[in-house]
Amino acid sequence: MSIEEKVENYKKTLELFPNDQEKYQYLIEQAKESSEFPKELRQDSFKVHGCQSQVWLVPEQKEEKLHFLSDSDALISKGLVTLIASIYSDETAEEIASSEIDLMEEFDLGVILSPARRNGAYSMLKTIKEYAKNLIN
Amino acid sequence: MKSFEDIKSDFPIFKREVNGKPLTYLDSGATSQKPQIVLDKMNEIYTVSNANVHRGTYVLSAETTHAYEGVRNKCKDFINAYESDEIIFAKGSTEGFNFLANSISKKFMEPGDEILVTEIEHHANIIPWQMVAQENDLEVKYIKVNEDFTLNLDDLSEKLNSKTKVVSIVGESNLSGLLPDINEITTMVREKSDSLLIIDGAQLVPHRKIDVQALGIDFLVFSGHKMLGPTGIGVVWGRKELLEKMDPVYGGGDMIEEVYYDKATWAPVPHKFEAGTPPYVEAIGLGSAIDYLTELDMENVQNHSDELREYGKTIFDDIDKVNVIHSSAEKAGCTFGMYVDNVHATDLSLMLDTHGVAVRSGHHCVQPFHRKLGIDATIRATAYIYNDKNDLDVFKNALIESIKMLS
Repeated sequence: MSIEEKVENYKKTLELFPNDQEKYQYLIEQAKESSEFPKELRQDSFKVHGCQSQVWLVPEQKEEKLHFLSDSDALISKGLVTLIASIYSDETAEEIASSEIDLMEEFDLGVILSPARRNGAYSMLKTIKEYAKNLIN
Repeated sequence: MKSFEDIKSDFPIFKREVNGKPLTYLDSGATSQKPQIVLDKMNEIYTVSNANVHRGTYVLSAETTHAYEGVRNKCKDFINAYESDEIIFAKGSTEGFNFLANSISKKFMEPGDEILVTEIEHHANIIPWQMVAQENDLEVKYIKVNEDFTLNLDDLSEKLNSKTKVVSIVGESNLSGLLPDINEITTMVREKSDSLLIIDGAQLVPHRKIDVQALGIDFLVFSGHKMLGPTGIGVVWGRKELLEKMDPVYGGGDMIEEVYYDKATWAPVPHKFEAGTPPYVEAIGLGSAIDYLTELDMENVQNHSDELREYGKTIFDDIDKVNVIHSSAEKAGCTFGMYVDNVHATDLSLMLDTHGVAVRSGHHCVQPFHRKLGIDATIRATAYIYNDKNDLDVFKNALIESIKMLS
């Protein structure tokens, strides 16, 4: 599935929830169901800066594709980073770096995706793109 | 005193809903809401008499200048300063501290001198001192906080010496509500040093009756937006004899007496500290906020805060998993910093928002203190004159429900 298709799927899912509370609950479920994150990877070098809670993103290369492990000490943030990591996982660095889709625009996620540039979701996206760009270079 | 319902109805923001629920605003520690008279006053200035202050010899400018300078007098009465010239307008407390740190360090300090602040200071009362300390080879020392969140005055006493040139202390903690005993601190500082004594009034001045003469301090800093006024305006009060010795930090228009190509002389206090066009509309808005608080009477404002704090203590202390950062002191500000076992503060504030409850989450600009407590982030509920017991009940119930969802 392409990045765009994954975004479209999540968008449809999120639209099913009538209010922020249910959307947050969905993110909490995503967090609880996400694959386990090895505690030893909770290192400063994998920390996403600019989040109110602590968020970690670890890139792994599997053949040609990138895969992202993610974690957070806050549940809703963990749900959000799980969702973002799954969108960009199993894609090539080129596909990730060149993707111009604006998640902040696409997803209606209440205050956590406010269009401010200084928010956590923006930092998560920036981190993923930087990993991809560094790999290309 | 006005009834609570009348007070709340003076604040137009409470007519709105958030996420389909009535707004329960418990983040006045970050900024307060504004009564209609403040909004009307600022609108009136822009609509009817806007003109730059101190500049024009025409009616509009005379009116704004008169209104602007009149606010100095209102501030003087509000904190019982000796005279209105001691009131310096700044953007807010943060700019006030930056000004004080820069001006004081140049005038009254030498390399090796020491600055004493406490472990629970807001970053605004830490960073400016760290910056001037690095520049001028000064040392910033921290007065310890006891396990019950009170200040360790023995530690203060031990750290005071002939090198101490500045003691700068929070008047009301923005996390625990602690109200340090300023009189006791003043006595100690005067006995053991010739240090200047600064009080951070950002949380204190909005909530309690302050008398700088009775406190015997040298400087007080506070922000307009936390006391019903607009953003962009704050006050530095200082003793006139000190202000007269100090040099300006910002240069520009309006702060000069004579300007030549190679030198300039300064206007008298307070104008030498106010370079450029001041935020005069904001200052006039602050004047209306002071009028509003004065009419309520700060004694009543203080009693309301004390009553709500007492009530909050009784209802928050017995919630499962919730830890409230109280000082053991009998009196404190109506501020409830709390953390919940195994639940992140950010998750909580997002969930509370869905109930229409606005509280702050994060480190509230007191990162070192959070680090000392070994916690990353807290949520903080702060109440003001437009909050009542019902708001605290709504918060409590939303908190219990949110914890359930997040556990």
